[in-house]
Amino acid sequence: MTIIFLKNIGRFVFLILFQVLILNNIQFGGYINPYFYIYFILLLPFETPRWLLLLSAFLLGILLDAFTNTFGLNASACVLMAFVRPFVISAISTGTEFMVGHSPSLKNQGLKWFAYYSIILVLVHHFALFYLEIFRFTEFFQTLLRVLLSSAFTLLIVFIAEYLSYPTEK
Amino acid sequence: MRYLLYFLQKQYIYFLFLALEAISLLLLFNNNEYQNNAVTTVSNRFAGALLNMSSNVSEYFSLRRVNRILAEDNAKLHSNRSEAFYKSDTSSFYQNDSLYKLEYRYISARVINNSTNKRNNFLMLNKGHRQGIENHMGVIMGNRIVGQVVSVSDHFCWVMSLLNKDSRISGKFKKNNQLVNIEWGGGNYQIGEVKEIPKHVVIHKGDTIITSGNSDIFPEGLMIGTIDHFTIAQEENFNYATIRFATDFNSLSFVEVLIDMMRKEKEDLKNSFKSSER
Repeated sequence: MTIIFLKNIGRFVFLILFQVLILNNIQFGGYINPYFYIYFILLLPFETPRWLLLLSAFLLGILLDAFTNTFGLNASACVLMAFVRPFVISAISTGTEFMVGHSPSLKNQGLKWFAYYSIILVLVHHFALFYLEIFRFTEFFQTLLRVLLSSAFTLLIVFIAEYLSYPTEK
Repeated sequence: MRYLLYFLQKQYIYFLFLALEAISLLLLFNNNEYQNNAVTTVSNRFAGALLNMSSNVSEYFSLRRVNRILAEDNAKLHSNRSEAFYKSDTSSFYQNDSLYKLEYRYISARVINNSTNKRNNFLMLNKGHRQGIENHMGVIMGNRIVGQVVSVSDHFCWVMSLLNKDSRISGKFKKNNQLVNIEWGGGNYQIGEVKEIPKHVVIHKGDTIITSGNSDIFPEGLMIGTIDHFTIAQEENFNYATIRFATDFNSLSFVEVLIDMMRKEKEDLKNSFKSSER
């Protein structure tokens, strides 16, 4: 139990640093900003209590906001995503039992399950984030394009990370 | 009461969700009022320290370009020295000596965090209150504008870059002083929008737009950019154009903060005018 806890804290710190120091500096024509740090919320163990899910997502978001001077922006998108997560899991459940202490992963749940799971949650987060950031509808389609392109890029990194952790995780 | 407690206990997750969302949205939409409170000061200190370290490494990659810009600026300054001017013996012209009435002071600062890929972009600089920086000061690079200071802590400050939906610069055509507004519509960080160009102004591609000096933030004559593309509107009263920014926002490493020495005087004047009007 402690190991799972420490592992998640380590992932938390690593993802924030990775996002702030590397991904936030990526520039592709102004449309693509990968937000890979939400991988942390995707990978929290299944039996995480919902209050802990919400609080850790809030903390993750607000810390990231501190680095970009956008207080509340990432936090609200993360909290929304963490709130939806249990509903998504129950909606796409395949009926198989989830093992205690396990995180959602490509290996344990299979490609189809993990693809549904991550695509829905990443889209929820990116939609909330980009539309809150601009907060007007005059640039609706432009923002939609940014949401879709950025989501695709975030998902690409998520899947690369999943495949990289494939052989080591038992 | 018992049922209420039971209800709360059963549904607590929804309340927690609503409470956290409320906190986030409150922070997001009240950001201007909270700018100088303890939260920002503390978070600026930590975020600043980390971003400072990161920029210490990355600034080496831009040294060559920074050198070139410094050399250009040097050359420009040399050409402004008194030795470079023709001396007339019919001394009837008025020389506006910059040392005689110092209006602007420049503080050089390093950019330790910058973005161009968001809809609302900010820069963090390594100078703050201790170095005399206040809110609403202009930030420039050479003679090109960058943005304005929006939040200050002891050693750092956040600058709202021109690439922000709240940024609106008053500019004018260099050739005929016609006033226009410059905004950024997202997307490409090199291209902005010029709005409210009066119909009678003849636009050419490559026309230079400079700051008008109408706002309190930037003095007159700083370079904003050149006209890139324009459309002549048929029905509306104003024409529209896009502008190619003179500043390369993606490669800022050293900038200058403009300190207006006469700002207090200007504000007092404005306030006395307002109060006498009433």
